[in-house]
Amino acid sequence: MSTQDQHGRKRPAARIPRFRAPRLATTGGFVAALALTAALATPLAPAAQQARADDGKKVLTVAVAQSVDSLSPFLATRLVSTSILRLTYEYLTNYDPKDAHAVPGLATEWKPSADKLTWTYKIRSDATWSDGEKVTAEDAAWTFNKMMTDANAATANGSFVTNFKKVTAPSPTELVIELDKPQATMTSLDVPIVPKHVWEKVGDFSKFNNDKDFPVVGSGPYILKDYEPDSYVRLEANKKFWRGAPEFDELVFKYYKDGDAAVAALQKGEVSFVSNLTPAQADSLEGQDDIKVNDAPGRRFLALAVNPGARAKDGERFGDGHESLLDQRVRQALFLAVDRETLIDKVYQGHAVEGEGYIPPRYSTYYWKPSADQKLAHDPAEAARLLDEAGYQKNSEGKRVGKDGKPITYRVLCHATDPNDKAIGQYLKEWWGELGIGMDLQCLDNVSDPWLAGTYDLAFDGWSVSPDPESVLFLHTCDALPATPEDTGATDNFICDKKYDDLYTRQHAEYDPAKRADLVKQAVSRLYDTGYMNVMAYPNAVEAYRTDQIASITTMPEGAGNIYGQDGYWSWWSATPADSGGSSDGGGSAGVITGVVVGVVLLAGVGGFLAMRRRATAEDRE
Amino acid sequence: MTADAVSAPAGQADGPAPAAAPPVRGPRARTWAGYLRYGAGKVGGAAVSLFAVLVTSFFLFRLIPGDPVKTMTGGRPVSAEQLAALRREFGLDLPLWQQFTDYCGKALTGDLGTSYQFRAPVTEKIADALPNTLLLTGTAFVLYTALGIVIGTRSAWRQGRLGDRLNTGLALTLYSLPSFWLGLLLIIVFSVGMGPVPGLFPTGGMESGGEQGFAHVLDVAHHLVLPVLTLVAVEYGQTLLVTRSALLDETGSDYLTTARAKGLRDDAVRRRHAVPNALLPTVTLIFVNLGRTVAGVILVETVFSWPGLGGLFYQALSVPDLPLVQGLFLFFASAVIVMNTVADLVYPLLDPRVGR
Amino acid sequence: MTTEASPPAAPAGPRALARQRRRRAAVRFWRQYRTHRAGLVGLAALALFALLALTAPLTVGSDVAGVTDAPGRPMESPSAEFPLGTDRFGRDLLGLLVWGSRVSLLVGLLAAVLSVVIGALVGITAGHYKGMYATVMMRVTDWFLVMPALVLAIALATVLPRSLGTVILAIGVTSWPTTARLVRAQTLAVESRPYIERAKALGAGHVHIMTRHVLPNVMPLVLAQTTLMVSGSILTEATLAFLGLGDPTVVSWGGMLQDAREAGAVSAGDWWYLVPPGIAIAGVALTFTLCGRAVESVLNPRLGVAR
Repeated sequence: MSTQDQHGRKRPAARIPRFRAPRLATTGGFVAALALTAALATPLAPAAQQARADDGKKVLTVAVAQSVDSLSPFLATRLVSTSILRLTYEYLTNYDPKDAHAVPGLATEWKPSADKLTWTYKIRSDATWSDGEKVTAEDAAWTFNKMMTDANAATANGSFVTNFKKVTAPSPTELVIELDKPQATMTSLDVPIVPKHVWEKVGDFSKFNNDKDFPVVGSGPYILKDYEPDSYVRLEANKKFWRGAPEFDELVFKYYKDGDAAVAALQKGEVSFVSNLTPAQADSLEGQDDIKVNDAPGRRFLALAVNPGARAKDGERFGDGHESLLDQRVRQALFLAVDRETLIDKVYQGHAVEGEGYIPPRYSTYYWKPSADQKLAHDPAEAARLLDEAGYQKNSEGKRVGKDGKPITYRVLCHATDPNDKAIGQYLKEWWGELGIGMDLQCLDNVSDPWLAGTYDLAFDGWSVSPDPESVLFLHTCDALPATPEDTGATDNFICDKKYDDLYTRQHAEYDPAKRADLVKQAVSRLYDTGYMNVMAYPNAVEAYRTDQIASITTMPEGAGNIYGQDGYWSWWSATPADSGGSSDGGGSAGVITGVVVGVVLLAGVGGFLAMRRRATAEDRE
Repeated sequence: MTADAVSAPAGQADGPAPAAAPPVRGPRARTWAGYLRYGAGKVGGAAVSLFAVLVTSFFLFRLIPGDPVKTMTGGRPVSAEQLAALRREFGLDLPLWQQFTDYCGKALTGDLGTSYQFRAPVTEKIADALPNTLLLTGTAFVLYTALGIVIGTRSAWRQGRLGDRLNTGLALTLYSLPSFWLGLLLIIVFSVGMGPVPGLFPTGGMESGGEQGFAHVLDVAHHLVLPVLTLVAVEYGQTLLVTRSALLDETGSDYLTTARAKGLRDDAVRRRHAVPNALLPTVTLIFVNLGRTVAGVILVETVFSWPGLGGLFYQALSVPDLPLVQGLFLFFASAVIVMNTVADLVYPLLDPRVGR
Repeated sequence: MTTEASPPAAPAGPRALARQRRRRAAVRFWRQYRTHRAGLVGLAALALFALLALTAPLTVGSDVAGVTDAPGRPMESPSAEFPLGTDRFGRDLLGLLVWGSRVSLLVGLLAAVLSVVIGALVGITAGHYKGMYATVMMRVTDWFLVMPALVLAIALATVLPRSLGTVILAIGVTSWPTTARLVRAQTLAVESRPYIERAKALGAGHVHIMTRHVLPNVMPLVLAQTTLMVSGSILTEATLAFLGLGDPTVVSWGGMLQDAREAGAVSAGDWWYLVPPGIAIAGVALTFTLCGRAVESVLNPRLGVAR
């Protein structure tokens, strides 16, 4: 129709550019697309050795996945954040890398009064803040006082000061803490001491995240230089650190939300260190050049915790744990059906130790293992017998029936983010299925809600055990129960056992190390017998680093220990750069080469595009 | 695959974009006054949609079982008084309807609350991550749109020939790939290096950190290649197919025959007459896609550790960090709604049949 | 559709006539479909996938998904015994791939059906009942249409307990609006035909018109829509499983990819763990898309309306 054609020509002039615009974008975009394609095919770009930055600086890059919750020492609770703060703010004391006993930090020595209610710390005079000011006892006093008076400043470490009566600094080198009652953690106060002259200007502590003004004034081995959320955290060596400056010039925590991406980055040398490896990753890295896999006994245990009927200290019961689990025989039967050897062999592929007692073998002083006749070894027949004996018989369909006449199905809480939970859960489902017990594996991103409400039957549970088992033992005392169902207690899974409590209290008051260790073992033995906490495995800390970037690094404990998530700052402070190549072929030249490559590729793209167009036109003419 | 995966295939052969309102032709849009009336209607509709999204974002995530305050404290021992104080701080002690009106009132003033886990304003977290997401999706968007239109045009012009069949087939195949899977494979091949291919590109993240100036730009560009490639590969097919079918609708038109009869070169006919008209349905798709790509980038951001909104959303959901989840949901949905509205508003302006 | 005014001389009743007409339409449909080569390829592949999934209990058996009696060592590379190697539990990956097709196809189909049923219901009713109801329904449709579907699906899957039902629901509930719009347009077109007017005059009720006249006419469109929707659903299922939002105890392709990633197969270079499930997902998605496109171009709704 000619009208259409006319209309085409009669279009108002002003409209034409509107049609032009997309075409221009089209051309440009296509060139760029070609460039991309060409870039892929160009075997030039040198991407490796990214970890080495410009101008010959020695950079140590650590791959991390966890997001920083806050960089304020008063708010941060996540491992990644507290690890970074450990490096930027010195504490009063530190832990010895060999056996974790208290060693000097900002305090050079400390002394309790006879009644253990007044502690006097001598503060070193050779420590300075990174802005040049001296670190004094006044800074420490201010930090503690702030936490005691401002609830918002007590968010992260408030538990350390709840018992504090008064904190004063009689002189710049003397700090005095008065207590309401004796406190065991006085030589392990994991509280970053902040500079008063900076922090007293902060208004609302609940909203101040300490991530706007860089560099952040600190006193640790590294100074916080830069932070880009979920991208990187950059630290610079503190040349004036009193213990001696780290040998690396920079420490960068770089984000890899995906574990495989982190491993790939390690293989390429983009990062120097990766933690939390899976068995498959560890095995594939094991044989590679310039990479050392650190497969060390871990400080964690993985257990199957039983809900023993959630309750508060005031005696009120809540939650809806399965009544059959109140029977010790049932709990033990469930554990008897678990073949730990298979779990170690298949799920961890050898990167773990079979679980027994509550304390990992790494802590030999307190490590306890059951005797042969006490041990709940894998024995499905015995498990079935115990269940029969407890009165949970199989019905006609082969399902065991509860007292309410319904088939038993246990809800098992698992962490959706932990692949091992899910894997072990599948084994349990089949093993218990053979016993005639159903299982509903409930994998959640955040288990704390049903956990605290007691609305589960069993749960995957794991804790990092400190050198002193005090805190993990406390979790299972009646004292740790919440005061009322509305509170949140320190308790792990609502265990309250009189015999255990008795042993706990006795070890708490015991000063003789050998006797205390014996009492701890008895407590662990009791816990084992109750069947409330069934430890299945002690997973290893599986990490890897590049030996062409890191020459040496301190593990903790020094013999065979972990690197990431230590109690002190030893690993990153002690790491020494390898002198092989590395730092010389800096990223500067890599950047330039990348630039050249991109330029060439772009030109090639434009050329190619033009050529294509000409050909296209020629074809059309035919 | 991104959000498009759910509903897009239906749109492919449907000509006009799947999510777009039917093109408005007719008396209503013929005059400027008509256009203004039409525009006001569209904007009004968008406002209603935005409000509906506000309601959803508030109530949907309240369905996640559990007590946000206990979640916030992450199982640490906390007394009932402290929990109550936290509840007051975040306004969780108020009746639901009051929380809702507060939320709406604040949202109107641009205040989306404070993130539980980061203790920072939600708007600030979004503003931090937004440029990164925009950089990634913007680059990918320009590329796949351009690629889709160019190849789609060529394909349609040579309909049925080998080139067309290869192109359409390739587009359909790439379109069927799960984007996260393609991303993982690209990492294996081009980041880790495989066989003769050296590791050319970074495995993840957006920057190495530490570079300044031009070096920084190059560094980011270097990190951008693989995620953009992934997005382009899975996304360009849709644009291609829509462009192609739109153009095929046009190629039968008499005015093209006339134009050829006048002796115009094929190329000129295509460029001056067919493509501009055929692009119309594509324009709608383009805007809709822009909004959707922002929302659908979650997977690619996860695979490539890109510090953008998608990763933030996923992280917020797993806590769950209600204010952040709500804020992001609101943002994603608003992006789509706004882009849709823009498409609706632009369409009649571009349609040459308007103002006849 | 011109046969509505059937000649009175026809020996059979109107029902039989309608049946005949539909049979003829089906034959015509098949003849046209046959000309689409891509559609035929898709159909053949589809049949193959369906056969694999249906016979899986006979060929591999449900034991293949059991972890306790897994035959191999974890993460073995391909061998004569395990052509695609083994997974992290030591299970045969080829067997799992075949077994996993059941869940992936089932979820894909059910989610697509759910989505299309919702869409068709909303579309037909909104097209039939005009006025307030239609306005509200289309408003709701528009609103769902602009919701970022994946974000909404992820949100739903997080809010609800983790199970296959949740995944189906999350996909179905977020993907129906396109169908609703298409079906409504078709319904409006059908209802404007004179014979509907006649039926109304003869006293046909709403239900009668919708089920007897509108539904058969929009059915082909619904069918095409379902076919196209399946590929999207399968991809979304894989996506949700990959993000860890599926049921971890059920074997599906997306779940296998998630397992592979969690086990560190990507960086360990265990391509046999990663590549086959991805290809399977893409293959099935492509198959459905090819069929759907062929069906659609045969039926071409716009031409149908004009006829």
